[in-house]
Amino acid sequence: MIEFKYVSKQYSPEAIALREISLTINKGELVYLAGPSGAGKSTLLKMIAAIERPTAGNVLVNGQDIGALKKASVPYLRRNLGLIFQQQRLLTDRSVLANTMLPLLVTGASRAEAEQRARAALDRVGLEERAHARPQELSGGEQQRVAIARAIVNRPQIILADEPTANLDRASANKVLDALRAFQAAGVTCIISTHDEQVLDRAARVIHLDHGQLVGGAA
Amino acid sequence: MKSWFRQHRFAIGAALGHLFKAPGSFLFNVMVVAIALTLPFAGLTLLENVRPMSEQLSVDPEISLFVTPATTRDEARALEPALRAILKDQQAARIVFVPREQALETLKAKSGLSDVLDTLGDNPLPDGYVLKLDSFKSAADAGIVDAIATQLRALPGVDTVQVDSAWVKRLAALLGVLRLVLLLLALTLGLVVIAVVFNTIRLQVLTQRDEIAVSKLIGATDNFIHRPFYYMGALLGLCAGGVALGAVALALRPLNTAIAEFARLYASEFQLAPLHPAGLGLLLAISAALGLAGALLSVQRHLARLN
Repeated sequence: MIEFKYVSKQYSPEAIALREISLTINKGELVYLAGPSGAGKSTLLKMIAAIERPTAGNVLVNGQDIGALKKASVPYLRRNLGLIFQQQRLLTDRSVLANTMLPLLVTGASRAEAEQRARAALDRVGLEERAHARPQELSGGEQQRVAIARAIVNRPQIILADEPTANLDRASANKVLDALRAFQAAGVTCIISTHDEQVLDRAARVIHLDHGQLVGGAA
Repeated sequence: MKSWFRQHRFAIGAALGHLFKAPGSFLFNVMVVAIALTLPFAGLTLLENVRPMSEQLSVDPEISLFVTPATTRDEARALEPALRAILKDQQAARIVFVPREQALETLKAKSGLSDVLDTLGDNPLPDGYVLKLDSFKSAADAGIVDAIATQLRALPGVDTVQVDSAWVKRLAALLGVLRLVLLLLALTLGLVVIAVVFNTIRLQVLTQRDEIAVSKLIGATDNFIHRPFYYMGALLGLCAGGVALGAVALALRPLNTAIAEFARLYASEFQLAPLHPAGLGLLLAISAALGLAGALLSVQRHLARLN
């Protein structure tokens, strides 16, 4: 479970990203974060992954207070999260398979086990046959699906996707969202930020943000 | 434990992978570090070769004592009890009387100037003694010899007292200076090695900053991210140390040819030998440690900035 209790984030007196946000996201829930650019969607996701820390209030992820989390504990928190970004951040000097294996290798998994699980993850997003291709040889939609495979290979409890469909055509965007919904159906909490109205139509729960304030969907 | 080994194996693989992606750059860095290491390694090899020689020479201190030309043979012989009294603390000391005739014969035999000495007519050499003292273990013990020499000079009929260990002291002092110079040189060049590795790792961190950022986001610990850079630094130092030792070994060949000719003039067979395997291993370990130190400093500084 994820809880935000009166969370604010202020970079400078003029730059306030979040203002006293309080909300709860339950285990296994599919949640969309909606709002215009600068609404605070990315900041909210970054706080769950401890990429940013709150200026005020508390962010609790499975009972762990992110604000009080020690630096050395952050990697272990992130191993339970699957992060997907608008820019996929795939490493172009290695294959799709190697990119997908990386989250397992950092945990000390054997190469054989990592390869087996990475191939299974790629299979789930329909890219097993492209395992040995380089990311730059794939389309934008395929690259985003590789990023999803990399995010789920560790069997995370929570997937955080920041504008995963922003640069994709409609067909590719649907494939990406179908993949995420499949993981949510399997019990994974999925939080997806987007400003795509057509995506929102299919959402179970939408949290609206504007200028760092919660304007709907908190309950 | 299995996971720990796996992580280190992964780090070594990652380090080798990145180094071999740009082999030219890696070799260039190895050569730069190797040049810095060659000089102290060569100096150490030279010192290690000279050290046993100086130690061997310093274990047999001798004093030569010459009486005045006016002193008769009997008067010269009569000095022996006084000499024994002065050397009473020297357990294994030996006193050898050298008559002037024997001295001349020895000079003729050793100098090769027999014909010239024959033209002198009278024997110009005085009677004398050679005092072989107890062995001493260090150049500092030479002070005892100096004290004995001072007492000998005060004896009646004594013209000259020559401390044969004086030049051993000078050699020991010279070696001490050389050791100090070598230490300072090694420290300076060690810093150069650290600086070169520091910069190499800095560039590598910049090249891999995307990979580092992604690794952090997917749950890599700092150790996991730092480790390949540590191995890179250590590997760079190790390879450079190997090249430097190889260069010293190669340089010994032509140097030994020249030294052999020079030593032959002194009826010696002195040759420079490479360091013994333990010494070579130690130098390789030091090289790797210097590389590791450079990598540690660089990673602490530059990855902290990326954070």
